[in-house]
Amino acid sequence: MSAFISEDLMNDTVAQPYSNARDSEISKILIGDHFLAETDFEKIDKVYAETGASFVKIILTFGFISRKNYERSLTQAGYTFEQIREQPFDDAVLDKIDLKFANERLALPLRVENAKVVCLMADPTDQLFIDFVRMTYGSDPHIIVASDLDITWLSHKLLGNKYVKSAVFELLNEDPDNSALTTFTDKQLIFIFSFIGLLAAGFVLSFKLTATVLNIFMSVFFLITISFKLFLSLVGSKFELFQAVTKSEVKAVNNDELPVYTIHLPVYKEDKLIKKLIWNLQSIDYPREKLDIKLLIEEDDDKTLNAVRNLDFPAIFEVIVVPFHMPKTKPKACNYGLHFSRGEYLTIYDAEDIPDTDQLKKVVAMFNKLPENYICVQCALNYFNRNENFLTRMFTLEYSYWFDYVLPGLDTLDIPIPLGGTSNHFKLANLVDLGAWDPFNVTEDADLGVRAYAKGYKIAVLNSTTYEEANNDFFNWIRQRSRWIKGYMQTYLVHMRKPSALIKKIGIKGFLGFTFFVGATPIMFLINPILIVIFAAYVIFDLDIIRTLFPDWVLFISIFNLMVGNILMIYVNMMAVFKRRFYELILFAIANPIYWLMHSIAAYKGLYQLIVKPFYWEKTNHGLSKSHTQTNAVK
Amino acid sequence: MKRFKTVYLVVITVLLAAYYLMVGIYLNKHGYSNQESLFYIEKVQIIFSGEGDKLRIMGLTSPILPFYIVVFFSLFSSALAPVLASAMGTALLFYIMASSMMKRNKDNFYFYLLTGIFVLHPGILYTACSGKSIYLDLILFFLFFLNLLKYYNSNTTYHISVASLFFVMLIFTDYKLIWLSLFFVPLVLSISLHSLNLGEKESLFRLFMSFNSSSLRRKLINKTFSIYTIIFLLPIASILIYKMLNLTHADDLNYFIDSPYATWNIITDKLEYTVTQTMGQYDISELSILVSFKALIFCPLIILAIYLFKQHTYQVLTLLTPFGLIEFLKVKYEKVNLTYEYYLLFLILALLCIIFRIRFIKNQSSLKICLVAVIAVQCYIGYVFLNKSAIKEERNFAQAVVHKDTAPRIEQESYDLAGYIKHMPEGTHILADDAVAYAIVGYTNDIHRFTIPFQSEYLSAVEAPDKYNGYVLIANTANPMLGYTQLTEAYLESIQTKNSALRLTKVYITDNWTLYKIM
Repeated sequence: MSAFISEDLMNDTVAQPYSNARDSEISKILIGDHFLAETDFEKIDKVYAETGASFVKIILTFGFISRKNYERSLTQAGYTFEQIREQPFDDAVLDKIDLKFANERLALPLRVENAKVVCLMADPTDQLFIDFVRMTYGSDPHIIVASDLDITWLSHKLLGNKYVKSAVFELLNEDPDNSALTTFTDKQLIFIFSFIGLLAAGFVLSFKLTATVLNIFMSVFFLITISFKLFLSLVGSKFELFQAVTKSEVKAVNNDELPVYTIHLPVYKEDKLIKKLIWNLQSIDYPREKLDIKLLIEEDDDKTLNAVRNLDFPAIFEVIVVPFHMPKTKPKACNYGLHFSRGEYLTIYDAEDIPDTDQLKKVVAMFNKLPENYICVQCALNYFNRNENFLTRMFTLEYSYWFDYVLPGLDTLDIPIPLGGTSNHFKLANLVDLGAWDPFNVTEDADLGVRAYAKGYKIAVLNSTTYEEANNDFFNWIRQRSRWIKGYMQTYLVHMRKPSALIKKIGIKGFLGFTFFVGATPIMFLINPILIVIFAAYVIFDLDIIRTLFPDWVLFISIFNLMVGNILMIYVNMMAVFKRRFYELILFAIANPIYWLMHSIAAYKGLYQLIVKPFYWEKTNHGLSKSHTQTNAVK
Repeated sequence: MKRFKTVYLVVITVLLAAYYLMVGIYLNKHGYSNQESLFYIEKVQIIFSGEGDKLRIMGLTSPILPFYIVVFFSLFSSALAPVLASAMGTALLFYIMASSMMKRNKDNFYFYLLTGIFVLHPGILYTACSGKSIYLDLILFFLFFLNLLKYYNSNTTYHISVASLFFVMLIFTDYKLIWLSLFFVPLVLSISLHSLNLGEKESLFRLFMSFNSSSLRRKLINKTFSIYTIIFLLPIASILIYKMLNLTHADDLNYFIDSPYATWNIITDKLEYTVTQTMGQYDISELSILVSFKALIFCPLIILAIYLFKQHTYQVLTLLTPFGLIEFLKVKYEKVNLTYEYYLLFLILALLCIIFRIRFIKNQSSLKICLVAVIAVQCYIGYVFLNKSAIKEERNFAQAVVHKDTAPRIEQESYDLAGYIKHMPEGTHILADDAVAYAIVGYTNDIHRFTIPFQSEYLSAVEAPDKYNGYVLIANTANPMLGYTQLTEAYLESIQTKNSALRLTKVYITDNWTLYKIM
């Protein structure tokens, strides 16, 4: 609660009636209009006991009444809802209220006018806020009734500066070595240019020798990386029947003992998905009063805000408006949302995500079993629209392999896990301790995974799946993938600023795992088309120059790599969908070389962006899928 | 307790390895050898001491896995490397099987029984002491089937993928085993059919129902195809890749199976075929259908193994696949006798089933008596099979073991000729073709004395032998491998026609070889 609220007011016995929502005028209106029933108040009291939030906040964000009905009811009772975004304000007045309090009461004092404090209120009868205004400003309020969303929007815009600065610069100030604000350090630039210089000199002095050495290096690198991936897949597949948390353990979870769980839903222009989102959230098996769901909307995203406003049914999330500040990235939004989160655990879902209904309970059960140093649990991701087109099929193959085999493999071998974009569940206190997400890193999740290991924390993998929407559009896919690959490059550069220090922190095994996974991935995609072009030129034109660059034994290794590498990667993809029983996708694994060429396009785009606009967040459009076979029922 | 058991097992394995080594080295010193070992020994000498295009030898010598193992053991002794490999490999096979046995069966009786088989069975002794690569076949065959059986129990991708990896290795140990994949088609179909969610229990009716419903048919085909892909994609792709490498480095897709420079099988098959024709005999037991019956006689234990899996359709079908394999091999390679190795597969399979299922039999005491009796008979039959084998190398081994002092050397004349070459002055150069003369080159143990095809100057030397070499080794007309070499009497005639000044003198003659001195 805000420090600006008088202690007397908070401790005063007079304040007790504020907790009894059914006595307020608004509640009587809502009961009269049959939008609330007497029985609802028991639930409201329960939520109040858990959250301490205002009555209006509870009914609008815990699924008791839709915003439309609330507005309709109050309008019929004689209240007029005004447009308030252009209202003048006085900084002196705003200085006396904290954003958290305004956000909680859905009310905001703006200025003093005619000896009255002009206040925006979603619930004009909120006595606690009225008393707060009287005591703080020494004047009566002049109440303007407004939509809670508009008040939220304005209060975050006017009062959120402190929090958004913290969201952007906290990690940079506390732990500058781990911030991606600087993409290339001086030493890294010297290393890169020295390497390029040496290579150029080598080509000038002895073209053949340099090309051969380079060729051997690439071949060996490829072979090791691919063998490592196969090994990881086998390790991961060994545990495919292992249930980290069993059904009976989930059943044994006592609802009363469950902690408050925060869910962050960072969205940007996802207006088409809001209805789906609510449906998915409704399905989650977790006591509603213990859910703290934050829909994080950017300040300039009126589309999503209006979609929430126009919902015909009650919402079960709280809207947080993220004030404008560069960089405009998802991690910045999540960092901002952290200031308003009250859960013991926290997870992130995308708007279109469909988590297994028992996922949160499973996570709680998992954390209860794990040692204290485990601060994150990663659930598997997969796709509900896998059979939509070529891209979605390939994406499903890739994700099945990644989340079902690679991550469990890394987990088993105790190698840092590059977290997936969503469905990673954190202990909130530890997340804050880590410095939360790096807003300058466009794969903040992968970066966080490495940072967690470097600080001695561990991450576990859980047998629960969140179904997402696979990208079904080529250009959209390229945008998304270029961001991911750019993020991997960023993450690798950040953590390789002091390689020896990194080895000390995560060990040689962790270091190699990190290098072969995070570092090698973009490099392989960058090199792949070059090698394919050389091979194609060799096969088609039988150029002598190529023959000289590939002495017999190098050619042997290269062809071996080309064939074995492709086959093994195709095979591990097949293994993954085989495990998921997506038999119809098995044959599509053969198309992986084409899919990897698409990765290469994205990798070059990512490399270009890394140099010219490293923090630019390539937005992925969601809601393009026409698939309706979505399900999150636990089988 | 577990640790004690492991130490105990390791000690027994080491003792067994020592036993195999002792017998193997003893037989080797007394002259026992075989074409496979001699072939590898010669190739290893090229790798370590030769100068020329070694890449083709290193990359395309086939079967490649046993060859690499021999290369490794050559670090200790080039002449004994194949024996070291087979002895150690068979001991490893024992360790793998015994540890698997101990994991599943608390009763030590079966462990002792297994140990007894590994000590006494003539087939196992042949595997361990002959220097042949049968040990690797048996290890990989065991691991392949073990993982398949585990897959039936656990239904995890891990086991089926690991089985597939072992199968890849298996075909790079013996290419003919790739045909095993054919006999998994009905099995895989049966697995897929069983997994369909149908009310009907009878397999035939299930098949009928699923073929008459489009969605079920799609499901059935998808699953059948998937399982088959998961098991056999890697092996088939590996062969294709290997063929590609053969094409790029030897200009022949099938170089590794067709060229006598790449594999010893070509020569041994040819030799065996020639011998069979010369003898004018036809072994009736080698008739296609009777081969399975012969396998049953060799290993009656396999009947018990099948019984152990009664009412387990997949497992029984799996156990039947090797029968399909040997029948197929008899049809495909009708002129070649089935080697002992293929009968030993049944022994390994039977032991695997005992490891897997024997604890479920209730009447253990009578079973044990029965087992001891069957295994004793099997050991005797094993000896008979070896002693009466149509393949000379196998007969030789039995004779070498029983009559220690008269171990017949498979390539006695090559050995004698090599002895002669060894005593020739330093710096002597002999033009030879190791496609057929590998035994002579191997026994000589001095690769620098020869000009052979992997060297760049070989072709020039063939064109003008007088400029490069003092001697030329020619295959006589009687040599059964005449068709595989260029260096024949006809070659000499053509050279002499080109160069009338060329004079040749015979310095050493055997039935199959003549060493000429170029004057």
